[in-house]
Amino acid sequence: MNAVGTKYDLPPDREATINRAKRVEWASLVFLLSTVVLMWLVMGSSQTMKAMWIEDTLSLIPTVSFLIGVHFRGRPPTEEYPYGYRRAVLVGFMCGAVALFGFGIYIALDSIMKLIAAEHPSIPTVRVFGVHIWLGWMMLAVLLYSVIPPIVLGRLKAPLAHELHDKTLHVSAAIDKGDWLSGLAGAAGMLGIAFGFWWADSAAAAFISVEIVRDGYQNLSNATAQLMDRRPSDVETNEKDPAIDHLQDALNRLEWVAKARVRLREQGDILIGEAFVVPRQQTDLLARLDEARQLAGTIDWRLHDINIVLVRSME
Amino acid sequence: MAVLLPALSGFGCGDLPRDPKHTLSRVLERKKVRVGLVENPPWVLHGADGPAGAEVVLARRFAESLGATPEWFWGGEQRHMEALENFEMDLLIGGLEASTPWSKKVGLTRPYFVERMLVGIPPGSPAPVSLKGQQIAVKAGDDLAASVQKKGAEPLQVPEISPNVATAAADWRIAQLGLVPTRFELGAKRHIVAVPPGENGWLRRIQIFLATQRGDVPGLLQRAGTGQ
Repeated sequence: MNAVGTKYDLPPDREATINRAKRVEWASLVFLLSTVVLMWLVMGSSQTMKAMWIEDTLSLIPTVSFLIGVHFRGRPPTEEYPYGYRRAVLVGFMCGAVALFGFGIYIALDSIMKLIAAEHPSIPTVRVFGVHIWLGWMMLAVLLYSVIPPIVLGRLKAPLAHELHDKTLHVSAAIDKGDWLSGLAGAAGMLGIAFGFWWADSAAAAFISVEIVRDGYQNLSNATAQLMDRRPSDVETNEKDPAIDHLQDALNRLEWVAKARVRLREQGDILIGEAFVVPRQQTDLLARLDEARQLAGTIDWRLHDINIVLVRSME
Repeated sequence: MAVLLPALSGFGCGDLPRDPKHTLSRVLERKKVRVGLVENPPWVLHGADGPAGAEVVLARRFAESLGATPEWFWGGEQRHMEALENFEMDLLIGGLEASTPWSKKVGLTRPYFVERMLVGIPPGSPAPVSLKGQQIAVKAGDDLAASVQKKGAEPLQVPEISPNVATAAADWRIAQLGLVPTRFELGAKRHIVAVPPGENGWLRRIQIFLATQRGDVPGLLQRAGTGQ
């Protein structure tokens, strides 16, 4: 039997917040799937619709990542996975970021080429229940439908992400913002075509692709940082997480501690890591270690599994 | 909302979508439609007095519905498609199908007519249970021979199909020959006409017209096929 990490339980009030976040993300998932299907149905040869479809399809990634992550992260660590499952989601998150980034660049180049080649998008008329409807109107309707829910859902997600320190949730909220922005751009492009401006479609798509590349870059750097165990940072401002200094200061205040240095990393929403401590005297150290460990738990709800390492000096 | 309002008014005023190159308004003004013809009987063919064929009749009727007359231009598909791509032509007909490789370069209507390719048998002969090993007549040079082979039957290339043997042909032709259609379908050909790229108002106009003609198409094809 080897050392296996201990199971982490969220404080009860956070548990309620998590459940709320789960409901919001499920709503996102259902809505996004409906847009993806509707867009696919009316897509035709419009460059804008192609861009929007890809953006919406890939927007599923943070949402799905969050839901999968929430599902797995409660699992206790095992012999085989002694650090637990809290980072399971990172793999999918990384792949999604790469896809988003790559597709964004592809759409941008594709749209610019079409603008240079002066390609005129042909949008046919379809017959629905005996009525002739220009497919462009249906695309416009779908685009407008796709705009409203992300405004609402994005606003619900942002404060939850902050409260839970959940980066996946934060990215999901950021992408919602990108979604409704590009939805409006797409609608403007479609109207442009209706009024006979052939370039409106590709121009809107190019604008949307910039948004996709931005999303992709954001996710990519986020996922890379997490994989590299970068210093924990704030969900919104990306600045140094104050919990690191809080813990270090608290340890330094203990009268038996001569010097303490803390090194932390993010494990999804929680923080794990080591505190190196130089003791003043060498008596009764086991009891003092327990004290320090308990102290860590009271500083911040996210601190978990902090290893206190005794060292002779910091050099 | 700033986006929504013009969209809604667009539904009402009816001149949307507009053509970037103004094809529809030019046709209405000058009363001429430039029609490219690619020979492909019975859709487009050289008749005794000028162009004939099912799609020639449709193009004539369409021009008439706009108060215009057609100007005909005979030529090959490559040249005509390029002319269309560069707005030198308003309409291109020639038995084109939705699967045309030109779909990215020019504007295509939705399929206005679907030809179902069937196996027909002489009246009175027993309906085959399977096509496996059956000999089925196909007009020589027709791509139907490949479809017949795929079904495990043996294509019999004939210079002209006749009502005397099991034959693969389009549904309207089977009916015309007096053959009895079987349940064996060899595929479908979805027919379209081509317009200049992005002329969405013009495209809409022609699609609405073609939708009214659907019922007439088999008759037009049958008459054109017999050289009328």
